[in-house]
Amino acid sequence: MMRTRTQILSLWAICVLFCSWGRAQGPGGPQLPGPSVKGVVIKGKAPIARDILRVRLPRPREAKLRNGLEVILLEDHRTPTFSMHMVVLSGGLADPPDQRGLAQFTATLLREGTKRRTSRQIAEQLDTLGATLSATSDFSSLTSVVSISGLVEDLDDVLDLFADIIRNPTFPPEEVERYKTRMLAQLQLQRTIPQLLAQERLNRALYGEHPAGWTIPPADSLRRLTSEALARFHATHYRPNNAFLAVVGDVTLTELLPKIERFFGDWEPAEPPRVTIPSAVPPSERRVYLVHRPGSVQTVVQLGVLGITRTDPDYFALLVANRILGGGPTGRLFLNLREDKGYTYGAYSTFTSSKFRGAWSAGAEVRTEVTEGAMREFFFELQRLREELVPTEELENAKRALVGRFALSLENPQELLQNIITQRIYNLPADYWDTYPQKVSAVTARDVQRVAQKYLDLTRVQIVAVGDAQRIRDILAQYGPLEILDAEGRPISALN
Amino acid sequence: MRIRTLRLVATILSFAVTAAAQGSKPVRVALTDVRLDNGLRVILVEDHSAPVVSLCVTYNVGSRNERPGRTGFAHLFEHMMFQGSENVGKGEHFLLIFNTGGTMNGTTNEERTNYFQTVPANQLDLVLFLEADRMRSLDVSQQNLDNQRQVVQEERRLGVDNQPYGRSREKMQELLYDSFAYKHSVIGSMEDLNAATLDDVREFFRTYYAPNNAVLTLVGAFKTEEALAKIRKYFGGIPRQPDPPPVEVTESELTAERRATVEDPLARLPRLDIAYKTVPGNTPDFYALQVLANVLHGGQSSRLYQKLVREKELVTSVSGFVDEKRGPGGFYITATLRPGKSVEDVEAIIAEEIERVQREPIADWELTKAKKTARRAFIAAIAGSLSRAILLGQYAVYYNDPQLINTRLDRIMAVTKEDVQRVAQRYLRPKNRAVVVTIPKAMALPTSGQEGKL
Repeated sequence: MMRTRTQILSLWAICVLFCSWGRAQGPGGPQLPGPSVKGVVIKGKAPIARDILRVRLPRPREAKLRNGLEVILLEDHRTPTFSMHMVVLSGGLADPPDQRGLAQFTATLLREGTKRRTSRQIAEQLDTLGATLSATSDFSSLTSVVSISGLVEDLDDVLDLFADIIRNPTFPPEEVERYKTRMLAQLQLQRTIPQLLAQERLNRALYGEHPAGWTIPPADSLRRLTSEALARFHATHYRPNNAFLAVVGDVTLTELLPKIERFFGDWEPAEPPRVTIPSAVPPSERRVYLVHRPGSVQTVVQLGVLGITRTDPDYFALLVANRILGGGPTGRLFLNLREDKGYTYGAYSTFTSSKFRGAWSAGAEVRTEVTEGAMREFFFELQRLREELVPTEELENAKRALVGRFALSLENPQELLQNIITQRIYNLPADYWDTYPQKVSAVTARDVQRVAQKYLDLTRVQIVAVGDAQRIRDILAQYGPLEILDAEGRPISALN
Repeated sequence: MRIRTLRLVATILSFAVTAAAQGSKPVRVALTDVRLDNGLRVILVEDHSAPVVSLCVTYNVGSRNERPGRTGFAHLFEHMMFQGSENVGKGEHFLLIFNTGGTMNGTTNEERTNYFQTVPANQLDLVLFLEADRMRSLDVSQQNLDNQRQVVQEERRLGVDNQPYGRSREKMQELLYDSFAYKHSVIGSMEDLNAATLDDVREFFRTYYAPNNAVLTLVGAFKTEEALAKIRKYFGGIPRQPDPPPVEVTESELTAERRATVEDPLARLPRLDIAYKTVPGNTPDFYALQVLANVLHGGQSSRLYQKLVREKELVTSVSGFVDEKRGPGGFYITATLRPGKSVEDVEAIIAEEIERVQREPIADWELTKAKKTARRAFIAAIAGSLSRAILLGQYAVYYNDPQLINTRLDRIMAVTKEDVQRVAQRYLRPKNRAVVVTIPKAMALPTSGQEGKL
């Protein structure tokens, strides 16, 4: 694809916040953060609209084919484009235990040959249509998602290709071999990226042998991959009654439905597969993992605990608590570690949630020299959220930000569609997103403290650092039993 | 006040889509283009399709305006713009924006520095006030400069010094260019960042952060006349400054290949970077080079992907881009090798493929592919209010032509197979290139299969 970023933004632009991209009171109103906010000075003179802009979310149109395939359409007529996502309700959680990554490999290899087209023909047709295809799944995902987008003038051609890739992949053995050798080389590359190594180690520390404990494909699983295993996974899981199709774009349901019927109407259903969701067991004690990366000039620090499932009643309290702790540049971690201390370009916290318990983690990249100070501040902020009630203004700002975001999502139909997909996967109530602002607004300072105390258990937090072990091991050893590993995850027994 | 109305907004929905021949729907952006008395150029696009507004202020200053000994300063200065002004405290700007549910950022490249935010539409006054206050009265302390100097140095470590191949890109710039303007990286060197003083900040602000050196673009749900009145109220009184000194960006083509090797302790696989010195953006040859880039390395159907990744299995990935500058740009190709493969073999195949596009016209489907891809990417890019605001600011600052948002695709559509062959012959000559080979510098790694020692 033509490198579009060069047209849009200069490729080498660098940013004040994060490059991957990204009050409420007028004069006389209550003023913002008091002493609890470090690193910022509030003069309170800027004119701010007090009202949160309430918005009405657009409704999707829905239909169902006789073979069980459900179709969801969100119309958006602003540009002559469309995107569609085939959401297959089987992901990495359906991987056989002896072949971690099979769902991911299957999704990736769909485009490498079908009953009607070779890999090269698929690539040429996609690119000639200016269409973009992606197919993803990961080790612990509930779904495999195949997405395509293009111009509405090509809707029929793109659909033809899309249906062929989803329904008729043949996983040609020579393509499987090509993929394996290429991926094995790419693993070499991945193991040089410090953020990825930190993520891998944290997932392992939090989840052990649970599928969510995997981050980078295991090389032996790749080596054992066969065309037959891929075809079997595909035949079992890629079925119309085990999937739904979510579409957004410049098209009406009346126009779309006959086309979907034409390309997917005779897709054969099958007995829906049963996937069991293993539960995640929290670590019993605090542990520290240090991944030695020679030549590092920064330490990548990650701290994590197990959090909640997507449908947990604590969801909204945790959402607000995370926003306050480190859910963006207004979070305490950013203001403290960056704006006050100058330790890092950015410090954040984030949480995931699924049908098993997700992770709640915090991290930053800091220069090696300040690893000790950074660790101290992380612990300080985690502890503070547990021990002190969040001041009213800080709480209200966090909630206002979370609700105010909805106005912005209205110009991003992909985000709206993603919300609808989430609602379906977790069987959330039909009015879930409409009542979301009220649920956020109802969160109190006590709720925030309660979830902090419940989940941010500092006696069980898992700590990961990727950096120069010679220079930081003594600092990390102060935080608990320390294990030093190399980039491959092998223990290093002795440090000279 | 001088008003240049290129297209007065008459309709509520300025983002009009009309049917045209061949089933291709053109997408037009209707804009109002005004200049205030103090020289601030204001471009407005009224669009009520979502209850948001996006504001972008683009200053005509980038790393190309830096002087020797102060590399990285334009970007460090960008950080200063969040450190407070007469009526806004340190960090208050971004705190206020995010607390409305909005987003914001500032970015710096060689050519320009921009500051942008998207907020719910009822916060228009807030964003105008914040941008105006810092354009009028930036106020930075030594403490805040020191704090952000550290932040920027961490940004450099994050993106360059602690990443595999981080240094390779800087090396390429040093090699490819002769003029100081483009020879150094936007992030700059640690030494130069350390040397920056508060006096530098004041001087830079006075010289470059003047209304007559900026373009304000506003896109979203507002009434044009009302928004203009607000913009006059907030920005009208900021005094004009003398025009900044011009920048020398003249470059001659290379007369002999330039080559360097980088030893990288953080990399495990060799990487090959090739760059040809080309032309300024928005020229016929620039658009032909974009089509050529698409043929060579755009997508899995591209010639280099098919040859290097699939057929010969020499590299894990191959990619590239054509960069857009007001001075000479570059045509870049990057390939990361597989273990045990030789850089010479990869270079030889790239050379073969380049000779082929010089010798024979590209195929019809390849031309169709490049144009279709460009069209879809451009339409997607201007769908959001923020990216429209950013592009309009960029086109106004780079080319004095915000209408390029409506004509740019036509220029790509005008490219012929002959153009592509011609620019391949003209620019992709061995003597007109710089080559950087990155070699992993083996560290004392534990031997595999055993427990290691450090």
